[in-house]
Amino acid sequence: MDYLGKSTFEAFAALGVPEVFRRDRVICASDHLVPPPTAQFATMLNEWRALVKQHRIEHFYDLGRQGISHQIMVENGHVLPGTISIGTDSHANTYGAVGAMGNAVGVTDAAVAMAIGKLWFRVPESVRFHVRGAWPSWVMAKDLSLHVMGMMHWNGHLIYKTIEYTGPAIDQLGMAGRMTLCNMTVDLGAKNGIIAPDAVTAEYLATRASDEWSPLRSDADAVYDQEYEVDVSTIAPTLARPDRLDDITSVDVVAGTPFNKAFIGTCTNGRLEDLAVVASILEGQQVHRDVNLLVVPASSRVYLDAVRAGYIATIVEAGGAVDTPSCASCAGIHTGVAGDGDVVLSAGNRNMKGRMGSKNAQIWLSSPAVVAYSALKGVIADPRELPASKWIDQGAPARV
Amino acid sequence: MSETVLRGKAWVASGYVMAYDIIKQEFWTSRLDPAENARWVMAGVEPAFDADGAFASHGYRFIVGGHNFAGGGKSIEHVITGIMGAGIQAVLADSFARLQFRNAINYGLPFITCRGIREQVQTGDELEVHLDTGVVRNLTQGTAATAAPVPAFVTEVADAGGMIAFIRGHIANGTVDSLR
Repeated sequence: MDYLGKSTFEAFAALGVPEVFRRDRVICASDHLVPPPTAQFATMLNEWRALVKQHRIEHFYDLGRQGISHQIMVENGHVLPGTISIGTDSHANTYGAVGAMGNAVGVTDAAVAMAIGKLWFRVPESVRFHVRGAWPSWVMAKDLSLHVMGMMHWNGHLIYKTIEYTGPAIDQLGMAGRMTLCNMTVDLGAKNGIIAPDAVTAEYLATRASDEWSPLRSDADAVYDQEYEVDVSTIAPTLARPDRLDDITSVDVVAGTPFNKAFIGTCTNGRLEDLAVVASILEGQQVHRDVNLLVVPASSRVYLDAVRAGYIATIVEAGGAVDTPSCASCAGIHTGVAGDGDVVLSAGNRNMKGRMGSKNAQIWLSSPAVVAYSALKGVIADPRELPASKWIDQGAPARV
Repeated sequence: MSETVLRGKAWVASGYVMAYDIIKQEFWTSRLDPAENARWVMAGVEPAFDADGAFASHGYRFIVGGHNFAGGGKSIEHVITGIMGAGIQAVLADSFARLQFRNAINYGLPFITCRGIREQVQTGDELEVHLDTGVVRNLTQGTAATAAPVPAFVTEVADAGGMIAFIRGHIANGTVDSLR
């Protein structure tokens, strides 16, 4: 990713090898800082681009072809089942959606891996969440992630462990939802999250993977450190209250709470399937005049698909703003950062003070469905009030 | 061989310490330099540390924390270089956030997992930490605790001067294949 790209190449230079171990296995993507918000960052990106060019990196997703690195890695088939991939941004856990071990590392580790194609790992204990039941309308993978956060807190039960999601409700979930679930395992404190590859994975990768892959799954008699059962049919649309990710509530408890900024995007919830739900809710409606709605697709590919599907037109017609793909205000650096007194309802992944800009802003987290419906109402609102006919099942990939 | 018995004064965190608060956002892209990064280290953790050189001026040698120390999901290595630059020799906590646990090993700063340690230490207590056995003595209170000992690999990396120097040595000696 761009934010630490230059630093990673600098650490690499200190190792004393002239070339990266494989030019097709080092992937660079512009995400946190595009288009650059300041002259300082623009300069840093220019220095990084020169290094990417110097090392003849084959896959470079720069502005115009950009996307959040985790989305880029998965949607372009750079991550395959049964493999290990690392990224310098924390949400590299997303790769678990295709049955890979995805892990975030710092620049030192990234530099070592670029030089020798190896890295040290601590073998984690694994924890299983077996998820059954039918997904209710308007309940998304994000709600399950937040529900699990509310079950577990940061009390050490998940810290540094692998979370494996299994069960009929996971089998029914499309790749977008699986990416959301694995993405947020880092925010649960886990080392990584993983979902075994199946027919959904195979269909997703059929047009994307350029290498062969073979399914690798946990043994039938695998032993887990802990096992938890979740019945998804009992989960409501769920929010994290400002400041703490484990301060969880269901939407009906906080319905009517005013807010003034709505944000939909990020590596957690900026995919085509998310935008399909948003467009279905906004279609023919108007965003409340006291709310700024900002939508940022997770990648250029998602953006183009959403344009072709008409979702972007629907969002703009409803009075929502759409920006070119980036991490946007989720990283608190640019594109709609929060100011003093802002109350933000975000489909992103973190809500600690200052995450999206000012320390004097409040950040609520929820699914894109809750953000979109609440943006129409001007207060936090329960999308289950909508007709079930407007709900889009999260099992199948969104069609363009 | 690096020192295996560490002694000094501890600072005990009262709450959840996030990487975001150890190094504030304005310093995330600054140069990695222990002396420079130490100037504002811990500035977001307590108001008293929010001044140039404030945390380092206390002369603490250990940080004692609770669960998920340095959590929040930031991979920035300034967290480690800043803590080291402030004179901290080891961090003891119930558990550590993974990204900074890796970074600590890569820089040779012991992150020692020690369940319940926060209940046994008060800020200002003198500790004696035995890296090879995991024994932690509180010299002020006359108590002792047992932590996970530090594996040999971690000590090797620390002795080499950190992961970059460790790997550079293996590359120069043609011994990368021996790493497994």
